Amino acid sequence: MIWQFSWLLLAATVQAASLSLQSPRFTISASDATQLRSDTLSLTKKPEPLTLGATDTLKLTFQITESDEGKGVQPHQTFLRFYDKESGEEGIQPIRVTPGGKAKFELNMMRPLTSIPPTTHNPLEVSLILGSFVHAPAQYDLFDLYIPASHTPAEHPDEASFHVLPAIKHTFRPEQKSPPQFISAVFAAAVLSPWLVLIGLWSKIDVRVPNLFSLSIMPFTALLGAFEVLLVWYWVDLKLGQVLLYGGILAIPTVFAGKQALYATGEWRAGRK
Amino acid sequence: MAGPKSSSKPSPASSETSVAVSTLWKSYLDQTPDRLKFIDAFLAFIVLSGVLQFVYCVLVTNFPFNAFLAGFASSVGQFVLTASLRAQVNPENRSEFKEVSPERAFADFALGSIVLHFFVFNFLG
Repeated sequence: MIWQFSWLLLAATVQAASLSLQSPRFTISASDATQLRSDTLSLTKKPEPLTLGATDTLKLTFQITESDEGKGVQPHQTFLRFYDKESGEEGIQPIRVTPGGKAKFELNMMRPLTSIPPTTHNPLEVSLILGSFVHAPAQYDLFDLYIPASHTPAEHPDEASFHVLPAIKHTFRPEQKSPPQFISAVFAAAVLSPWLVLIGLWSKIDVRVPNLFSLSIMPFTALLGAFEVLLVWYWVDLKLGQVLLYGGILAIPTVFAGKQALYATGEWRAGRK
Repeated sequence: MAGPKSSSKPSPASSETSVAVSTLWKSYLDQTPDRLKFIDAFLAFIVLSGVLQFVYCVLVTNFPFNAFLAGFASSVGQFVLTASLRAQVNPENRSEFKEVSPERAFADFALGSIVLHFFVFNFLG
């Protein structure tokens, strides 16, 4: 890359001629065409900074020549660069140059060019940049320019997402509370009262279970009771895998006991009938 | 065919429903076998239990909601299982349940109850 660059430089210098700026002049005039300031520009020393009001006009004229022959020439690129050193904003304005090398530039603050960058109270450094295929490039620092500060640009709709957003404050629903102990106790007693009703009804019904403790029935009822105990144990302590395992193990004798018990009851029912 | 619950009704006017009800009740007590009355008492217990749980939920609070659902579902589920046991075991219904012996009905009832209790305890928390 560097080798190519050096060839280019060599080619440019070998091509010879360099550009030069002749008779640069500026004029600042007010809106009623009175001249406020006018002067030639020196290429060695910048003048006092220029100031443009909101209604003033800046006019710039110059000629570009080839340095050794003094012949006017039209470079391939002629740009005026406005640069704000503080904010880093920059604007480039192409300038039309006649084939004879003469150029004229006008900046009317009432209708500012779109290439002017956003400005604050800091001055813009104005420089002229020339580019050509057959000449060495040239850059001239012309002057500093104060123009009225621009409005701040409209905020981009996504601007907020590039900064830390405000912390989200969550509001949680308040915890549900248990009712007062007394009411809980009363209703607990109320909900358990059906047991009393059941015991009362069952005592009135004269149900006979003559064979409850016989050998064929007892294992079945005991295993059914064991299942209920297992489930209560699961409620307080066990995990799902454990209860399923124990239940599965308990189911095997229960099936056999059940078959035996129900066969016996079936026989008694048939026998009695 | 329904059991002994539909007995002979008297012919008085419909305003005498109290007479009809008391006759119904009397015939129920007289004609229902003891075993069915036993199951009926259990059914009444389940209904009462479920109603009281629901009344508590409506009047006081439904917190914790899963406990209410578990309790209420256990009432409803147990009622369904017991009612189907009663229907299958009732000797008057033998013609409807030829393939299902009372023993088979009881075995189904026991298995269904255990599974129901397992799910209820799971949800009770």
